[in-house]
Amino acid sequence: MGHGGLLELDGLSRRFGTVQALDDLSFSVPPGEVVGFLGPNGAGKTTTMRAVFGLTELDKGSVSWKGTAVGAPERRRFGYMPEERGLYPGMLVADQVEYVGRLHGMDRPAAVAATARWLERLEVADRARSRLDSLSHGNQQRVQLAAALVHDPELLVLDEPLAGLDPAGIDAIGAILVDEARLGRCVLFSSHQLDQVEDLCESVAIIDRGRLVVSGRVDDLATSGARRLVVRVEEDRDGAFAASLPGVIVSERHAGAVRLVLDPAVDSDLVLRAAMRAGKVTEFTFARRRLSEVFREATA
Amino acid sequence: MNVAVKVVLGLVIAATVVLRLVKARRRRRAAGDVARSPISSSAARLVLRATARSDTLLIAEREIRERLRGRLFRAVTLLILGIVAAAILIPALSKSNSAPVRVGLVSPAEPGARATVLAAAKAVGVSVTIVNEVSITAARAGVSSGGIDVAVSGLFTILVARAISPNDSSDTAQLVGALSSLLGKTAAEARAHLTPSQAAQLASARPVPVVSLEKKEATPPNPLKGSSIIGTILVFIMLSQYCGWTLIGVLEEKSSRVVEVLLAAVRPIQLLGGKLLGIGLLALAQAGLIVVFAVVLGKAVGSTLLQGAEPEVLWTSLLWLVLGYAFYSWLYAAAGSMAERQDQVQALALPLSIPMIIGYIVTLTAASTGNASVFFQVLAYLPPTAPFAMPVLLALKGATWWQFALSVVLMVLSTAVLAKLASTVYRRAVLRTGRRVRLGEVLGRSG
Repeated sequence: MGHGGLLELDGLSRRFGTVQALDDLSFSVPPGEVVGFLGPNGAGKTTTMRAVFGLTELDKGSVSWKGTAVGAPERRRFGYMPEERGLYPGMLVADQVEYVGRLHGMDRPAAVAATARWLERLEVADRARSRLDSLSHGNQQRVQLAAALVHDPELLVLDEPLAGLDPAGIDAIGAILVDEARLGRCVLFSSHQLDQVEDLCESVAIIDRGRLVVSGRVDDLATSGARRLVVRVEEDRDGAFAASLPGVIVSERHAGAVRLVLDPAVDSDLVLRAAMRAGKVTEFTFARRRLSEVFREATA
Repeated sequence: MNVAVKVVLGLVIAATVVLRLVKARRRRRAAGDVARSPISSSAARLVLRATARSDTLLIAEREIRERLRGRLFRAVTLLILGIVAAAILIPALSKSNSAPVRVGLVSPAEPGARATVLAAAKAVGVSVTIVNEVSITAARAGVSSGGIDVAVSGLFTILVARAISPNDSSDTAQLVGALSSLLGKTAAEARAHLTPSQAAQLASARPVPVVSLEKKEATPPNPLKGSSIIGTILVFIMLSQYCGWTLIGVLEEKSSRVVEVLLAAVRPIQLLGGKLLGIGLLALAQAGLIVVFAVVLGKAVGSTLLQGAEPEVLWTSLLWLVLGYAFYSWLYAAAGSMAERQDQVQALALPLSIPMIIGYIVTLTAASTGNASVFFQVLAYLPPTAPFAMPVLLALKGATWWQFALSVVLMVLSTAVLAKLASTVYRRAVLRTGRRVRLGEVLGRSG
């Protein structure tokens, strides 16, 4: 990604007691694509997102939007879904979404119309006049997303938006994120499950212990680095044939297949011949590098 | 100048000072925003100022709407109105329903005995029925059988069935008490052969005022009427109640985590200010409803409960209720932001309620004895206790209008400082979850 994004995070540092939550973290979010902000639990994702909204103080560093330091007027044009979900449990769903819209500067008619539109889009329109706490967990999550989207924000920041959703929910929310990005908006969302979001995001920034580990377009990251092979041999489910091959590492054994990482000097034909000697080969595929592998290799 | 006019004048001055402070603060804030934003014309500054104000109003509006929608608020208001109605109606009804006291006069009645019985009944507000008894024996029989309550024979004998204890407050006891002293006086006048005009002169005797050579000590303590103490009690109950709402309200927003969504859009001071304004307006409306209801109902049934209340004490109490709420609500809101669960509320609220309780008790003592101690006078100028002490000190004539205004100004200034401090604590504590936040953590360098 590098520079050139509309949202720029520059040298963010933040220490909580003995824990360095953010350590000179810089990256930017360009418009028009879904950016995944990834890393293990406790890497500093939530602190970073809070810093965008001025919800945590920074020891050093700055957050800017279109070249200007982010202040209250800018934040009104941002949409935010915090990791710890929260709306008023006893308030009616539509009232709640409309209220958040108005706090972001919409007038009443516009907020009412946008609320109806988003509840419809997120398939919770039939619950508009229900108390929030009477909705299922998944539907509350949809209302929370509506509250982040109601004012058509220029920047959407979602902290773990897919956590706790079923596959249908993940697809529905993923589709909305892509649509928003295609409208030219900035979309930044976080996840600690790197491989789960691989298909969803176009760019990623991966952090660990408050530092940026790697960032870039997913396609570039997946096709760079050592080659990967998935091989299935009927008589050798644990891939014993590969253990003795020089320059080949068995990185995973799963359901009768092995995932191999090849040194640049290794000829893949040699691997195929070794596999055929071990038994009947039923699968032999070049695989893309997974984001979890990108992370592991970058932090090794 | 009339005291009320002077106090109003003082308040206008105080309000002007507050407005100026608020305006200056807003100017600084708006200037800060504009410096950060690309647009910096005066028009943009106006827009920012307007949005800050409308956000606060929007938050206040939600607070009022949601509380009115909830069943709890309506139920509690109805309950309080019910209690007030009961407090006014029950004594009034039981008084008007009580049967007249039956008094037997042994004939031939002594001249003046009948008039004395009626005068005594009027003096204590008891209705009587007078029955003529043929002899003292018949009267005695009537008393012992319960046919009459009291028998009067001549100017010297009053008969009742049972001895009357000193703390008996029944109609019969009150009548007998008044009757026995009046009859004694009438008898003494009769023995002295006084004419009615001489008797009247004697009756109008007044104590001679005692003038001491020492200055200042001339006025003896003059306790306030019981009805005037109602103001102090109202301020205490309502202040505890409404500040409790702010604490719980802030805690609810924290524990439901909605506060993070809200703070992503508005500043902490706007969110907090709007919340306190909303609850405050609702509280004032509820308090006003209760007072108006009590006054109207009391007038309608002729209740004596609110009679004689000095209007000055009532309206200065109302003013101090508003000032006290403005002061304490910030403290309670900051405390609410530090809690994590409902069960921590007690521990957080207790230290805040201690100055309130001290102010309340010392003020009640001063009001009921009429003795404004130095301690009490000092409390009237300290913001945490002034809401209780100052209205009563004014009513006891222990403070002049400018001293009253001075206390108001002190209160307003310290409220402004407190608001700033409380919103800092709030901003730092309200997003910290998992355990109770300690004051030291949020007042030190942190976020």
